[in-house]
Amino acid sequence: MQSKLSDIELIEQTLGGNQAAYADLVRRHQRFVFTLAMRFSKNRENAEEIAQDCFIKAYRSLSAFQRQSKFSTWLYSIVYTTSMTFLRKKRVDTDSIDDENTYIQFENQASGFDNNLAENKSRSYYLNLAIGQLLPDDAAIITLFYMGEQSLEEIGRTMDMEANTVKVKLFRARQRLKEKLELSLKDEVKELI
Amino acid sequence: MNKIEERLWNYIDGTCSEDEQKAISILIEQDEAYRLKYEELIALNQQFSKMEMDEPSMAFTYNVMEGIRAEYAQKPLKAMIDKRIIKGITFFFIFTILLLMIYVLSTVHLSGSSLAVHLPNSVKLPEMKNYFTGPVIKGFLFFDVVLGLFLFDAYLRKRSVSKQV
Repeated sequence: MQSKLSDIELIEQTLGGNQAAYADLVRRHQRFVFTLAMRFSKNRENAEEIAQDCFIKAYRSLSAFQRQSKFSTWLYSIVYTTSMTFLRKKRVDTDSIDDENTYIQFENQASGFDNNLAENKSRSYYLNLAIGQLLPDDAAIITLFYMGEQSLEEIGRTMDMEANTVKVKLFRARQRLKEKLELSLKDEVKELI
Repeated sequence: MNKIEERLWNYIDGTCSEDEQKAISILIEQDEAYRLKYEELIALNQQFSKMEMDEPSMAFTYNVMEGIRAEYAQKPLKAMIDKRIIKGITFFFIFTILLLMIYVLSTVHLSGSSLAVHLPNSVKLPEMKNYFTGPVIKGFLFFDVVLGLFLFDAYLRKRSVSKQV
């Protein structure tokens, strides 16, 4: 069961030596952190490794959290930095980070759905598929905006960009996602015919 | 078309000015192209909002907490010692030395060229002559030579290791 205390209250308890409070904080944010990590790593094992690393890093520097922004914004900036470092470490060169074609194939994005064909064919499945084909930055912006419910300014703080840059990037990301979605659905219609 | 889409997304997100908001809402009402595009983007926006999050493994929280525990358990003892204790010990020694210095200086009497230190009657200094007998000095020097050679050997070994690296 998740705690009803606010993030700040849980942080204060954690800093006071209560590790159980931090476990509550992890439970509260783990799904989103994991989803965001998935946008970069494209597979569950690596995403889980990144997400765990982020929570450990956040714990380590919890006392340095200034509380000028939301805890989630601070945490997501750790996820973003860690994910980018992960991509670099995995020797994915700069070209491939920016190359859309590299991300056309991704592993097990909707692994939980594989057993259910009917569910697989839902629009949500195709949306996940399309997001998996986006560049990490595009996928991250879409995820932060729609799932993380972050404002353009907060996304800017997370990704170290100006709010206006985020606005332009979000517009382009939505366009690309729309195209990918249309392409996936078109292929599906062809398959059915 | 891109310009229309951009304006409509700004309208949907509420990131445009009030005047622009009004102008776009009029366009949506009156212009067929705007209306159709708006409906398409609204449907898309709703679909994006319904995206589902991925679920990490059941042991995720446990693994994070274990990772934290392991990290803190691996920390060397040096890092675990409270710095306040070290500062406290340092302060104690500095304070004691200062006290002794003040006491010694207060007992020193400088008169002309002679220097006289008057210790209290209860304090008796050991006779230093007794300590500097032949065998004691020889033993002390021998120990110093051995210690010096040992340290020199350690230094040379360290240097050769760092050169190899």
